Amino acid sequence: MNFETQLKLQAYLDGELPESEAREVAKWLAHDQEVVLLLGELRNTRQAIAGFEAGVRLPESREFYWSKIDRAIGQLERPQPVAQKRPLFFRLQRFLAPVSGALALAVILGITLLNGNTGTTLGETELASEDMGAITFRSESEGMTTVWLYNRGDSEFTDDPAPDSVELQ
Amino acid sequence: MSDKDHSSADDQALVRSAQKGDMGAFEELVARHRDKIYARALSMMRNEEEAVDLSQEAWVKGWQRLAQFQGEASFGTWMTRIVINLCLDQLRKHKRQRTESIEAMDEDSGGVERQMPVITVNPTAGLERTELRQRIDKALAKLSYEHRTVLVLHEFEEMEYKEIAKTMECSIGTVMSRLFYARRKMAAILADLRKEEGS
Repeated sequence: MNFETQLKLQAYLDGELPESEAREVAKWLAHDQEVVLLLGELRNTRQAIAGFEAGVRLPESREFYWSKIDRAIGQLERPQPVAQKRPLFFRLQRFLAPVSGALALAVILGITLLNGNTGTTLGETELASEDMGAITFRSESEGMTTVWLYNRGDSEFTDDPAPDSVELQ
Repeated sequence: MSDKDHSSADDQALVRSAQKGDMGAFEELVARHRDKIYARALSMMRNEEEAVDLSQEAWVKGWQRLAQFQGEASFGTWMTRIVINLCLDQLRKHKRQRTESIEAMDEDSGGVERQMPVITVNPTAGLERTELRQRIDKALAKLSYEHRTVLVLHEFEEMEYKEIAKTMECSIGTVMSRLFYARRKMAAILADLRKEEGS
């Protein structure tokens, strides 16, 4: 008996053959004892395992078994913080935070470079134009910047501020 | 719905209540079907602890998907399909983790069962229910997971070849050959156990 015949015999037992093929198998069974014996073996195995699951009982009490399921469901249903609706400002914050950080860094770098280019000592900047003279002073400790404006004609550089000096804070 | 109502209600009514969030109704459904769901997991996994865990996972999944249950099949059948899929996922993970044995490869490609002499005497005839269960249990444990799963889906879940092929993601031909080898091997193991008893 070849393998194809064996599988056809099994399909016959399982009711999976079309009627024409089932009739063909019935003819084999009428003439071939080997086919009859194999069908008997397959049928016996099928019958032996048929009721196997019926006697299986869960080895845990109802309460104990349910408590784990209940706990797992409870955890699933806890409100998820991610799903909460937040105001627009807070949702934009995650995008604005890196941008503001980069801006702050650029300002610090700019100030540092500006200070470096003027070649003045830290905290003091001198700006000059053709007609007006200007001296700025920044006190880091007091957070204050002072700008002195003076007429070049009156003085090239003096410690005494001119009467029209402006103080900025 | 009170506890008394839960115990007297049919599955359909309990499902409807559970779909509205009634946990008491769902607990009653678990109590009614837990043995069957566990039994199916045990048949497939052959490990009590794993079967308990997977059956509980199935119930949690069942709760999550309860809104999708339309009542086309019975609630028990619907839950059984969930646990079967969970077991299949777990068995596939196991298989990936271990090297396939030569024996398993031999079984898949035909093996010795094709040439095995037919067992003419019924090896389980006259056995008491408990003893029969023990022997089937031993025999099932000796099958490869592919053969055992096909057998479980066909004999216990009563799935047709086509449905098994879809569930196991293989061809109908593979289902037929696996089922044939599984049955023949079961017959051989049961006959050996009978001989051991006689000797």
